[in-house]
Amino acid sequence: MDLALTLDGITKRFGDVVAVNDVSLRVPQGCIYGFLGPNGAGKTTTIRMIMSIFYPDAGSITVLGSATPESVKDRLGYLPEEKGLYKKMKTGELVAYFGKLKGLGGAEARTRAEALLVGFGLGDWIDKKTEALSKGMSQKVQILSTLIHEPELVILDEPFAGLDPVNVQVVRDVILDMKRQGRTVIFSTHVMEQAEQICDYIFLINKGRKVLDGTLAEARASGDKAVVIDYEGDGSILKRLPGVRRVSDAGKTAEIFLAEGTNPQDILKQLVGQLQIRRFDTREPSLHEVFIRAVGADSDA
Amino acid sequence: MRKIFLIAQREYVANIRTKGFWFGIIFIPVLLLTAIVVPMLLERTKDARRYAVVDRSGWLADAVDRRVAGGDLSSALNKTIEWYQEGDDDYGQLPLVLQDVTPVLAELESQQVGLFARLVIAEGYGTGDGLSEDARRTLADYGAAVHTWWSTLPASEAAELFSSVSANRYVRVRPSDTTQAALNRMVAEDEIFAYFVIGEEPVAGSEGAKYLSNNLTDDDLRNWYGRRASQEVQARRMAEEAIDPQVARWIQEPVRWEMLKVTDTGEEEAVEQRDKLRQWAPVAFVYLLWISVFSVSQMLMTNTVEEKSNRVIEVLLSSVSSMELLAGKIVGIATTGLTLVGSWLLVFFLGTKFVPRMLGAPPSFDLAALASDPVYIGSFLVYFLLGYLLYAAVLVAMGSLCNTVTDAQNMMPAVLLVLIIPLLTMVPIGQDPNGALARGMSFIPPFTPFVMMNRAAGPPAMWEYVATTLLLVVSILVAWWAGAKVFRIGILLTGKPPKIREVLRWVRAPVGAVPERRER
Repeated sequence: MDLALTLDGITKRFGDVVAVNDVSLRVPQGCIYGFLGPNGAGKTTTIRMIMSIFYPDAGSITVLGSATPESVKDRLGYLPEEKGLYKKMKTGELVAYFGKLKGLGGAEARTRAEALLVGFGLGDWIDKKTEALSKGMSQKVQILSTLIHEPELVILDEPFAGLDPVNVQVVRDVILDMKRQGRTVIFSTHVMEQAEQICDYIFLINKGRKVLDGTLAEARASGDKAVVIDYEGDGSILKRLPGVRRVSDAGKTAEIFLAEGTNPQDILKQLVGQLQIRRFDTREPSLHEVFIRAVGADSDA
Repeated sequence: MRKIFLIAQREYVANIRTKGFWFGIIFIPVLLLTAIVVPMLLERTKDARRYAVVDRSGWLADAVDRRVAGGDLSSALNKTIEWYQEGDDDYGQLPLVLQDVTPVLAELESQQVGLFARLVIAEGYGTGDGLSEDARRTLADYGAAVHTWWSTLPASEAAELFSSVSANRYVRVRPSDTTQAALNRMVAEDEIFAYFVIGEEPVAGSEGAKYLSNNLTDDDLRNWYGRRASQEVQARRMAEEAIDPQVARWIQEPVRWEMLKVTDTGEEEAVEQRDKLRQWAPVAFVYLLWISVFSVSQMLMTNTVEEKSNRVIEVLLSSVSSMELLAGKIVGIATTGLTLVGSWLLVFFLGTKFVPRMLGAPPSFDLAALASDPVYIGSFLVYFLLGYLLYAAVLVAMGSLCNTVTDAQNMMPAVLLVLIIPLLTMVPIGQDPNGALARGMSFIPPFTPFVMMNRAAGPPAMWEYVATTLLLVVSILVAWWAGAKVFRIGILLTGKPPKIREVLRWVRAPVGAVPERRER
């Protein structure tokens, strides 16, 4: 399997603070890799090192087969978490400019920029200044700016933040499309549902250390088995049921984590009569649960 | 290299498109034009001062009037001589008698023309005191005709033909009531600007001589009238003591020094007006240099802050290294600055070439030749670039630390404090371009560009040029070494700007390491 990206024991310190601590990672080509982690966990620092904005203090990074990530910068695309546009530039010129910075010729950059903007329904804005764009539109323009040179590896930091459901769908389609074309996508998010929907692999980082790394299924399997119910009534009784280790109660939906050896059927029997059950489901825990547990466990330690 | 060029190109285009750039382009020309034109217009539109005279001596006021009239005729005749010599169209419009006399007068010394005019006014065609043989003949031949022409020429026409006649500036009024109370009221009501009281015995002393006005700042009228009155009184005193006016003039003759300059080859050369101008021309260039360096390097700072607050910086850094970005910005802003400064120089040149002429300055007043002097232009461009590079390094580092333009503005006073010094020393250095102050300050790199420009008329010795430029270039390299380190870290920084101590730690840290932020 060809690897798009290899991190080998990379460490980054800011003074006395260790932002990224001995992190190793292998990202296969043509997959979608989710970078998860709470705020300040080291996601952005890791990404910045991959983009050679920072250099690691220790460890090595291999990007697209090159041990000097700077030399392949033109084959990478990066959408930072803090994104912005030159307000006074025309949208078409701006997208083309970022293409040119990535090595496209002037005429080609212009043609591609216009084609992309038209393709994403922004054709009317090509000759307008970017300050006239709405937030959703400018985020689309930013994503197009990172894709114009058809990068082999794309890193999107929080690409869904601030988008309405329609645009979330548009961006998701873009990501899936890239995968279909055999390109590799790394994206970070706080929203677990989004990661669950499209990621092949999950990388979870907390306090600078890797907590979890593997396929989505592996990640889920690392969590406890759980029962999910939709119910009406007083949920406080859930915690008092025998064989229940922990409950994550959202009011009308609850995730019930069972102690070792408990049969879900016994739980169902006890619930009937006490609560009105509309759904009863046994399944692997959600990524959300995995996340909370991994991060929570780490902070207890 | 290609990326640096792309960034520079974008900077240039983006800057050219701003309103601020075009405002900058027209700012200097407008300033220059205003500085030249407004004082001239003010002078021209100044109302003629009306004054009255109470003459208790019974003769002095009339004598002054005659002297004034003589002066006016003299200046008018000088003007016709100028027209005659330059072949001006106005000359053909003059009455024939003047067209006859002017060529003859043109042969005389200007002092003789003045005397001639006085005698014409006094109708003393036969006396010819102090006149040369030629002038005396001219007076006898044409004196009466000139007198007729001058005394029949309506005042308004004279004022229009000859802008220098005194009636354009001072008009004597003759009120019917010359009691001081009446005159005081006229002054209070602004009917007259001032009035003079001449004492009973002006020849004996100044007793009783008064000047009354409610304007205490404008001394022109008092000086003008006073000088003429003094001359008349002195003439009387000489006559009473039987002193020959020639002798008196000879006694009063001050020692005049012929001004010469010594050229580089040790030869003597006469000093012309343009040499004096040349001495002061660098001051204008220092101003221009100051404005250019300051505004252009500030452009770089604002620009960096904007990129940071726009959050464009990280996208850029994914495509180019921070050093490529920095280099591109320096080049882009430098070309913007050169465009701006080039347009200013052009306007400066054209302005100095045509504006003074339009306003009636003599052709010898050749500012344009000075404005285009290769030493000045060359120094200006070199010192603009070097000054820009030095200040840009500091300002771009400062810009990289700020998140908003307001943050940046708060830091500006510190830079201004340094920049203001070469402006304060501009005049002393202009007076003594090779003095101790000038030499010493040339070796302080932040001042070098301005001070060396200031000294260009000296000019400084070649070794000084070499040494100060070397020092400046070294400082620029050090400034960029430090500035680039700060820039590298600063541009990715959010939150409040760091303290100066923290920034100094960044400068000391090895490239690539990012020191922790202690103040949070």
